[in-house]
Amino acid sequence: MIMLSAFPKKKELRIRQTILRGVYEDNLRIIGKGSAVLSNRPSFSLKKISLFISTVLLALLGYGNYSDLSLSPDKQIAPLSIAAQQLSPLPAETSVHPSEYAAFFGGQAHLKRVFGLAVKTIMIDPGHGGADSGTVGKLGTREKDITLDIAKRLKERLKKQGYSNVLLTREEDITLPLNKRVELANSGRADLFISIHLNYLPSKPINIIETYYFGPSSDAKTLKLAEQENAGSHYGLSDFKEIIEKIGETVKLQESRELAGSIQQHLFVNSLKQNGNVQDFGVKRAPFVVLLGVNVPAVLAEVSCLSNREEEVELNTESHRENIARYLEAGILHYLSKGEVRYEAKRLEEGR
Amino acid sequence: MKQKDSKREDNTVFVGIDLGTSRSSISASNNTREWIESYVGWPKDFIALQVVGKPVLFGAEALKNRLSLDLCRPLEHGVIKEGIERSEEAVKEIIKYLIELAKPEPDQKIHAVVGVPADTLKVNKLAIRKAVSEFVHSLMVVSEPFAVAYGMDLLNNSLVIDIGAGTTDFCIMHGTIPSEEDQKTILAAGDYIDEQLYSYLTERYPNAKFNKNMVRQFKEQHSFVREVPGEVRVEIPVDGKPVMHDITNEIRRACESILPAIVETTTEMIARFDPEFQVKIKNNIVLAGGGSLIKGIREYLQDALKEYGSCRVTCVEDPLFAGSNGALKLAEDMPAKYWETL
Ligand SMILES: Nc1ncnc2c1ncn2[C@@H]1O[C@H](COP(=O)(O)OP(=O)(O)OP(=O)(O)O)[C@@H](O)[C@H]1O
Ligand SMILES: [Mg+2]
Ligand SMILES: [Zn+2]
Repeated sequence: MIMLSAFPKKKELRIRQTILRGVYEDNLRIIGKGSAVLSNRPSFSLKKISLFISTVLLALLGYGNYSDLSLSPDKQIAPLSIAAQQLSPLPAETSVHPSEYAAFFGGQAHLKRVFGLAVKTIMIDPGHGGADSGTVGKLGTREKDITLDIAKRLKERLKKQGYSNVLLTREEDITLPLNKRVELANSGRADLFISIHLNYLPSKPINIIETYYFGPSSDAKTLKLAEQENAGSHYGLSDFKEIIEKIGETVKLQESRELAGSIQQHLFVNSLKQNGNVQDFGVKRAPFVVLLGVNVPAVLAEVSCLSNREEEVELNTESHRENIARYLEAGILHYLSKGEVRYEAKRLEEGR
Repeated sequence: MKQKDSKREDNTVFVGIDLGTSRSSISASNNTREWIESYVGWPKDFIALQVVGKPVLFGAEALKNRLSLDLCRPLEHGVIKEGIERSEEAVKEIIKYLIELAKPEPDQKIHAVVGVPADTLKVNKLAIRKAVSEFVHSLMVVSEPFAVAYGMDLLNNSLVIDIGAGTTDFCIMHGTIPSEEDQKTILAAGDYIDEQLYSYLTERYPNAKFNKNMVRQFKEQHSFVREVPGEVRVEIPVDGKPVMHDITNEIRRACESILPAIVETTTEMIARFDPEFQVKIKNNIVLAGGGSLIKGIREYLQDALKEYGSCRVTCVEDPLFAGSNGALKLAEDMPAKYWETL
């Protein structure tokens, strides 16, 4: 295949030199230099690049990657005594059983302690909005309006507690895709994410409260709910199977479970005082898109039940909505203060 | 003409990269040869990131996960274009990935020659340089068919026809680096064959269920022009059941559909030179690129061009790496002093 073999070697050499010089000069012209100049580009080793990439990766994937930190025994702190037994039995199979409360109320390392960071920004996500009304009660009450109102009240309450940086994913009645909510939480550097929703149980006239964090579920009702809340996200439940396996037991999950536990407890115990018929469906895992995408502890609370007629009437009163906001606030503060206590305890221990 | 000795001692790795519309490859002086399909995909959002598990995907893997990704084929239609930043970003990712595949030692300097489709080079010289320069210490960009020609020692009196996916590139060599007039690009190439074949098959078998990807595979397995090498039958589902279909004529018609344009462009380009030189070029035509694998294409073109006097057409031996091998040869032959300023 070498067609130039007939050429005298010298001539070929000359041609080659001409061509190589041509390539060189052509490239000089591209960078706008007719004549030779010295490159001032700093040398860039591949190592640096890959270091950069892995840093970005870590940042993108979030705290989950540090899961092993939380598991080392010397970082564990004595569990706080929590009145878990106050809580009624939890019916659904995917729910966390009372005996497990202690495990996640104590034990695990807090993000704040792991990272030495304070919770600065809290993102509240009023479910649905705009074209998406969420569920609608028999009297016409729309989930999207109630969740927005409660979210605003919660924000004000938290601000009074000194959390100056409380953000809402939406301040108005606008359509906001789930992916967008996730992006807002991540770009707003939220430290906690709380999504507020209302339940709807068409076949039962009861009023329930339940709180979710991200995880697998085999319960048909829970999966149905997840499908509803995920609508419009382009993701089907099957997409999550693999992810769930990958995520495993990360700090984010542990903290989400703890936050969910605290919110559920305060919501339910206090709601029960107002309304003896409310039922505790407990803390559950479900593959909600919003909970997965957010990099920090994230929960979704179904704070009330629009299918229950009396509850729907109540939800139309300002005082009831303010109360729900108050219970949510208590749940969040309790979660945060536990982190505080453990952090302080740890610090004192280390100070010795 | 080898100055390798003086260059090798300062711990440099030379790489030749062929940045193609559909496939990109790298050949390195440490003897690695790697290729990927020129697709880059970024997760559409945070959820997609969790689904695919990495911030950027390439080639076949990117295609497989395309529902979760923003896909980019950066040199489609020859130029870095559209959301220009996106394409530039995609080129960067491809280069970075290819260089990683070549596994240079961490402390090694990388001197790269990158071959890009001739049209891309005309329009986006600087953009290409910018996209690549971040990952190498020194860099030269050249046109793809030129790199092929250099690698095959076709420095003088020759014509390279690179039949790729998006474009067929022509490059006449006459002892110097080819100018813009020495190069021409037409759209009669692999993707065009795919489109033709797809429409012929849809017409003949309206009930058969197939997609563009399957059609490309049929082509790559059975492509031919001129004489029928035997009946071509493939399995295509009809109503969910696999059924054998005869596609012999469709394959031939589709593959032959690019030939008139190639013949015409070849004669046009050669005609610009004086008769003596014309004869030399016509006896030194080389086919490269994936399209050169079509059975009978060499004979077809040789016969078609014989109408105007004697003619000899050959095919490169390794179309997948002919471009990157040529670029590597350029890199290794390049005098050390030239690298210093680029
Ligand atoms: N055996 C084959 N028969 C026919 N066509 C083939 C065969 N193998 C590969 N191809 C086609 O060759 C094309 C890819 O060739 P190549 O890798 O040279 O393209 P590229 O360099 O990426 O594209 P371009 O040169 O346009 O930038 C595709 O269209 C592919 O389907
Ligand atoms: Mg090519
Ligand atoms: Zn809802």
